[in-house]
Amino acid sequence: MHIRVDSTTRAPGPGEWVLLMYRLPREPSTPRSAVWRKLRRLGVAQLADGLVTLPADARTREQLDWLAEEIQEAAGTAGVWLARPASMAQERDLATAMAAERAAEYAAVREGAHAAAALDEPAQRRAVRRLREELRRIRRRDFFPPPEREAAVAAVEALAAGPATSPPAAPAAALGKGRLR
Amino acid sequence: MRWATRQGVHIDRAACAWLIRRFIDPDPQFLFVADASEVPDDATPFDMPGVEYSHHGADCTFETLLRRHDLTDPVLWRVAALVHEADLDDGRYDAPEAPGFDLALRGLSMVAGDEQTLALTGPLFDGAYEFFRRQVMLGREPA
Repeated sequence: MHIRVDSTTRAPGPGEWVLLMYRLPREPSTPRSAVWRKLRRLGVAQLADGLVTLPADARTREQLDWLAEEIQEAAGTAGVWLARPASMAQERDLATAMAAERAAEYAAVREGAHAAAALDEPAQRRAVRRLREELRRIRRRDFFPPPEREAAVAAVEALAAGPATSPPAAPAAALGKGRLR
Repeated sequence: MRWATRQGVHIDRAACAWLIRRFIDPDPQFLFVADASEVPDDATPFDMPGVEYSHHGADCTFETLLRRHDLTDPVLWRVAALVHEADLDDGRYDAPEAPGFDLALRGLSMVAGDEQTLALTGPLFDGAYEFFRRQVMLGREPA
């Protein structure tokens, strides 16, 4: 898989990552599942049981800081660390695994767009709104955009354009390019 | 009063500064620090991990400030929905304008310093408050 690592902000060598290590009591299960949902929404990579990570920037650090606070308030323990993978290979593996997870999410959006093409027009319009929203959410946690992203964007925009016009593959692909975090 | 928060102001801190000035402390002075250990003794910290005026449970700092100061104005809670969704995007509220505010604040932080961001976002939150006030009063979208 081809992985783009942002070369404008990254010095040569592995970049900085923010790590959240946490432990939460098994019961009550409500805070556990709330934390789990938030970690999923942030698109973290799981390194080990109770250890997750994201590429470090002001935003990801803050998000993991708040999550650590929430875990402590729920009678758990948590710590936020900054670290660098010791090798480029290790960072690449991490980025590849994260990109693969996003790729699966983009593929589901593309399939959703294809499936919606068979629906009547009002249902198609609703599907376009829902799928664009879903794309926006995936993009927010997409740190290493996989090629599946452009295909998903193109499929949703083709659905939006309707069957009468040809799918605007080129503009949709151009829109997806060069988006830096 | 002196108030301290983290550098690199985004939606929650900008909105809190606006709320403090409009509804809590008419003559506030804001300081921006890199770490909680740099907060002076005479300053009240907000939107920093481990302090009272911060995220608690599912609340963002703006919501915490409203609760701690018994601000029950439904218009302020509508602003809170905007701030919460722009900050956390967790679907707790229906605030379709939130992604736009999120982008505006993130973009602003790229071209303006913290003081300037507060100066520029003050009127923006004044306007949002006024819009939601009319919306609540009219029961429909104002002109």
